[in-house]
Amino acid sequence: MKQFKQLLAVTMLALTLSVPALAAEGRTPLPSVPAAKGGQCVEDTADMRRNHMNYLKHQRDATMRQGIRTEKHSLKACLECHAPIEEASSASAGKSEGHFCMNCHEYAGVKLDCFECHATKPESNAQFHPLVSSSSVSFKSVEKADSAELLNNLAATSEDNIGAAHE
Amino acid sequence: MKNTKFLETGSGTGYYGLLILLGAFILAGLSSFFYMEHNGHWVTGMTNQIVWGAPHVFAIFLIVAASGALNIASIGTVFGKQMYQPLGRMSALLAIALLIGGLTVLVLDLGRPDRLIVAMTHYNFKSIFAWNIILYNGFIALVALYIWTMLDPNPAVKQFYKLAGFAAFVWRLILTTGTGSIFGWLVARQAYDAAVLAPMFIVMSFSFGLAVFILVMFATYTWTGRPLGDAVVRRLKNLLGVFIAGVLYFVAVHHLTNLYATKLHGIESFFLRDGGGFTQAFWIGQIIIGSLLPLGLLYCRMTRNSRVWIGIASALVIFGGFVQLYVLLIGGQAYPLTLFPGYEVSSSFADGVINSYSPSLPELVLGVSGIAVAMAMMTVGMRVLRLAPVSLADEVIDPHHSK
Amino acid sequence: MQPMNEQMQPDRARREFFSRSAAAAGVMLAPGVVLYGVAQAKPADEPVTSKVRWGMLVDTSKCNTDCNACVDACNAEHGLGNEKHSREDQRSQYIRKVELKHKATGMTHSLPVMCQHCETPPCVDVCPTGASFKRADGIVLVDRHICIGCRYCMMACPYKARSFVHEELTDQKPHTPRGKGCVESCTMCVHRIDEGREPACVEACAANGSRAIIFGDLNDPDSEISQQLKNYASSEIRADLGLNTGVRYQGL
Repeated sequence: MKQFKQLLAVTMLALTLSVPALAAEGRTPLPSVPAAKGGQCVEDTADMRRNHMNYLKHQRDATMRQGIRTEKHSLKACLECHAPIEEASSASAGKSEGHFCMNCHEYAGVKLDCFECHATKPESNAQFHPLVSSSSVSFKSVEKADSAELLNNLAATSEDNIGAAHE
Repeated sequence: MKNTKFLETGSGTGYYGLLILLGAFILAGLSSFFYMEHNGHWVTGMTNQIVWGAPHVFAIFLIVAASGALNIASIGTVFGKQMYQPLGRMSALLAIALLIGGLTVLVLDLGRPDRLIVAMTHYNFKSIFAWNIILYNGFIALVALYIWTMLDPNPAVKQFYKLAGFAAFVWRLILTTGTGSIFGWLVARQAYDAAVLAPMFIVMSFSFGLAVFILVMFATYTWTGRPLGDAVVRRLKNLLGVFIAGVLYFVAVHHLTNLYATKLHGIESFFLRDGGGFTQAFWIGQIIIGSLLPLGLLYCRMTRNSRVWIGIASALVIFGGFVQLYVLLIGGQAYPLTLFPGYEVSSSFADGVINSYSPSLPELVLGVSGIAVAMAMMTVGMRVLRLAPVSLADEVIDPHHSK
Repeated sequence: MQPMNEQMQPDRARREFFSRSAAAAGVMLAPGVVLYGVAQAKPADEPVTSKVRWGMLVDTSKCNTDCNACVDACNAEHGLGNEKHSREDQRSQYIRKVELKHKATGMTHSLPVMCQHCETPPCVDVCPTGASFKRADGIVLVDRHICIGCRYCMMACPYKARSFVHEELTDQKPHTPRGKGCVESCTMCVHRIDEGREPACVEACAANGSRAIIFGDLNDPDSEISQQLKNYASSEIRADLGLNTGVRYQGL
């Protein structure tokens, strides 16, 4: 039952996200999902949408209890590509509006617990995931940003942009 | 027991007025909880040195009293004392109500109360705390079954009455042993780390539970206008006296034993002589007001037959119980851990200093709301179920009453 | 879990370039780190085993009263001190400097006290959910995913090593997630150990010149720490509790 519900929710989300033209007509609000760095994710997008929570949960126990620190499904590594690279303001309509995880989760109404403890942005001298090309790296402006402020700004931003097409 | 008539308590302005009053306290408690949970524990008086504070004092009192409140029912069912049997239903519901009140406070004070499901599904069976979670839930289920065997006239159900009573009796002894062992098994702290704490908590539960039961019984029978005979009152007050004496005995044994160990002289002088507020609380609050004075009131010729004085004595026992738990819980944390025997110690993390604690308003309100939850459950329970005997007059219930 | 998709394997050359430059950066950036006796980092995809037992040894004679290098390094490493509302006694401290003066003889000592990473930790015994646990290599940690914040471990710890987070936190360090309502304590810089480095306090103490704290594998008889423990007297704090701590002290 749970799998079915998840599948249904994800299908709905996938449908809404993949038909921007229709949504631009104005009736269906969309989450504004900021573009990530790097060419592709560690897993297939559809697979990730369905299973990212399982990968993260499995990885967290492996890391915590057994010290397995492979980067593929580690939350810290996810943030290296998916973290915002500019401090967001409502004026910036660039590639990075909002926090990748929060935007979608707020849209779907699924409360996130992770970022009460986990940092929302990678450390400036973090080792990058091999998928990240050096040209897309720029962290200077993020270093000073207060995560909570960032999240609050970005929550406001995502509301402003409801209905806007995902670039 | 077979001929006792039970009836739901009536409703009316008094009933609804009481519920509104209790509801106000419960609402206040909920607001405190939201405030504490939303902001974090920095709004409370609890710190990294005093990690368990006022909410835990209230919660542990309620939990300990809960197991003791079942005593009346157990004496009737397990030990066959006829006069206690009509009181069994009220006693059992009071046990559940007090336990739920205590657990409410305990759970709402957790750092992450949203993880209650995690607590119910991940168990570390070496932890007495984990066992307590299982014991508390089992207690509620078992006592509910026990009440069912008392309420349902169907013989197929009634045949389990004795078994249910016995099971509930044994379960609550294990439960209270578990509650005492939460402290008794802490090797780190000199105020705890004692096997005697488990049986001490059991006798404390007898005393506190009975005191609460007496007050609830007085209130119920006065406010519903039902007759309450002297025989019942006299039996219960004599029993309360015995239990108070029992608690005094265990407290004395605990401290006398500790005094024999030189390494414990520091903590003992802290409690008994040099601890300032804690010493005063111990001697004046716990011993004099909480134990000796009620003992006197219950046996002294001038006051022992007066219901007012018996009620006051019960209230003093309850007060003494809170003070006892305050001294044990807070005092035990206030005294610093001894990492380096023989040395004076100082650091940036409060080593070597007596820690101070003053409860904040949200904590106290949360604690009081636990009492309100318990009382609200009792009030509603007696209204909708046939728990209270129509009459507890001497001629009805005393088997030795001369006709 | 889906099997790894072969087409998703990152470019090998890119990976090697990055790991080499990261290694070079690591060597350049870590001042004065002395790497004796530290076992090589295990490969990231292997679980830790009990073949290794990490421990620390503090020589209190080398520890100065005025020095707080270990405490400052720890606070910086883990991002402690970012509590905005908590009072002084509500703030987290993983490691603290303790000043001792013997009541009878007047002898003084200064030493750092942190989680002692006991072999039979009382905090692990009492945790109702199992969030407080000991890793196979001896490091005692809090799994903050299942910690319910009951603080029983704080009552049980004989060394008062644990702290509770009393408010909402922001700006955590990515390698030390910490948040409101959970209990935390010294992790022996497990994130560093898994990369083959030393805990921040050990590194800072060495950089300072005192080298009062050393770190190493207690199960390796040839490690510096094992040799020191074998040849010179050392003790555990509260040895009477029989906890076989991973952190030991000389000169007490």
